[in-house]
Amino acid sequence: MSRDVIMVRPLLWPRLLRGAVLAVASVVLLAYVLAPVFWLVSSSVQTEREIVSIPPHWIPDEPTLQNFKAIFLTGLGYAQPTPTGVDPTSGGFIPSVAGNLLPAMGNSFIVSIAVVVLNLLVGVPAAYAIAKIRFRGRNMALYVILATRVIPDIALVVPFFLVVRKLGMLDSLGSLIITYLAVTVPFSVFVLASFFEQMPDDLDRAARVDGCSRLQVLLRVFLPLARPALVAVGLFAFLASWNEFLLALMFTQTAASQTLPIIVAGITSDFTVSFSFLNAAGVLAVVPPVLLAVIFERYIVSGLTAGAVKG
Amino acid sequence: MARIRFQSVSKRYGNGAAAVSDLNLDIRDQEFLVLLGPSGCGKSTTLNMIAGLEDITHGALWFDDQIVNNVPAHKRDVAMVFQSYALYPHKSVFENIAFGLRMRRVPEAELRRRVQDAAERLEITHLLDRRPSQLSGGQRQRVALGRAMVREPSVFLMDEPLSNLDASLRISMRAQIRHLHAQMRSTFVYVTHDQAEALTLADRIVVMRDGTIQQIGTPDDIYERPANVFVASFLGSPAINLLDGVLSTEAGAPCFRRGEFSVTLPEQMAAGLSGDRREVVLGLRAEDVGEVVPDGPVLRGVVDTAMPAGSDQFLGLVVEGSMMFVRVGKDSRVREGEAVAFGLNPSRLHVFDKVSGRSLLAGPEA
Repeated sequence: MSRDVIMVRPLLWPRLLRGAVLAVASVVLLAYVLAPVFWLVSSSVQTEREIVSIPPHWIPDEPTLQNFKAIFLTGLGYAQPTPTGVDPTSGGFIPSVAGNLLPAMGNSFIVSIAVVVLNLLVGVPAAYAIAKIRFRGRNMALYVILATRVIPDIALVVPFFLVVRKLGMLDSLGSLIITYLAVTVPFSVFVLASFFEQMPDDLDRAARVDGCSRLQVLLRVFLPLARPALVAVGLFAFLASWNEFLLALMFTQTAASQTLPIIVAGITSDFTVSFSFLNAAGVLAVVPPVLLAVIFERYIVSGLTAGAVKG
Repeated sequence: MARIRFQSVSKRYGNGAAAVSDLNLDIRDQEFLVLLGPSGCGKSTTLNMIAGLEDITHGALWFDDQIVNNVPAHKRDVAMVFQSYALYPHKSVFENIAFGLRMRRVPEAELRRRVQDAAERLEITHLLDRRPSQLSGGQRQRVALGRAMVREPSVFLMDEPLSNLDASLRISMRAQIRHLHAQMRSTFVYVTHDQAEALTLADRIVVMRDGTIQQIGTPDDIYERPANVFVASFLGSPAINLLDGVLSTEAGAPCFRRGEFSVTLPEQMAAGLSGDRREVVLGLRAEDVGEVVPDGPVLRGVVDTAMPAGSDQFLGLVVEGSMMFVRVGKDSRVREGEAVAFGLNPSRLHVFDKVSGRSLLAGPEA
């Protein structure tokens, strides 16, 4: 005879209620976060007339790609901006800065990719040295690198400006690349150093005995293992550079060096504002980072939490 | 060919702590040398200095007739097996074993032949395509050995390679390592804190403590003629019994006495006896007791505990107020609380100076 087993079931109602509350909360949060993005995309394919209708049309009645077409055509020189004084609701309105959007996007790409590449070139060896080579002042080096990030960006703007001007680099992509590096490299070194620190010292030693110089250990053993951290660091540097506004506003003056956020913001300071056009520009600006985040999503979490928990 | 020589080598860390002080050691070509000692005794530091993984603070390290203090690890003809195995997680077993050869630009055909050959000897051919994470501890250990073997180095270093294996596997791997040494004709330096490993594997053992060498000798030397109390108590299981007492000359022969217990010692121990009396420590290994012989020395005590241990049993005896352990056959039927007597062979006893801890058999202090 087996003994009776008393099963204690959790009560049904509290469980259901809990589930329902969680579901509702999730939906509300999701709506809060995604609604502006949805409106951005939706209004970018609406006409100027439809965009100002009340109540707003979340789903456009007559979707149109005319704004995107205008961005590409003016960017490539096949169309001209609408003269000032024309009512944007008349349709087909093209703001004066429209032609700068594509070059600005190109500038943003050049700056962001240069910052990513240089971040990795500088950050990887620095992080490896801090994590695996015993030298005098090793901890100090990391603290000093991190301490530079304690200063808020706004306090750095004026000194940065003076340096950039003295170097004769105002209104050039170089000025953005070097200042963005100053802002992103400390974080990259920190994340990569915590990642390398987690890797066993014996791995480093084994590779050296097997015939690797320090640099070869880094390239042949540590880098292949650090892919998640490299992706996280690269993505962070890319996004930070892509989104950066304040420094770009200070250092750039002409379309030759202006980046996307500056041009997009410039649309609103025109004499007439076309909201559908503004939103189309906004969509173009968010597509690259969103694509990157989707592609590398699985690496981001594991890379950024590296070093958070000693495994 | 690889003879390794430490000449007054010291190693200090940045915080001033001395890991190894004034180390003088001559490791012969093709010798199997074991560095034995408790954790923190400097044995791994010594090994890492040979590998080139630790800088040398003072002194000179010679490989044959060349000083290698400043030769980096990757330029020394040295292979190493780590306690943690340290396999490259992103490479297959084949690539793990081949890595050292690739770094030395060994031609592909030769590389394949050597990896295949090592894999066959270690019986891991069926694992060559796997990743380290898919292997058991024992298999990883074999891969780590293979990685060192294929290099055919003149110096083979092992840092507690068997510590992470379970007991039965450890015994069979010991045999394999011994075998490997016979085949490879390289100089082996092996670090362990496991005395049994040291005694089975070594041609010579170096016992270390606090960064200094306590004794260098064959396993037999170290076990039978320990140079001091530390060496005596580090080897042997259970640990050697130590009994404080007084050594004096009685009727022309040295005699150890503690309370009622006394034993006359062989003549040569008198050499270390300066003056009439000396405070000493008597060392008696658990297995060195036997039947009482007429007129022979006798150890009397009361059985405190009887602990069967498979083929034998160990008795905890209270002798003159201190606890001693002796090994007897498992058929010996004694009860706790019973008074017993065992015979002793004086030539199997060890006598150490109470103050310095040095063996009196080792002769006068240098």
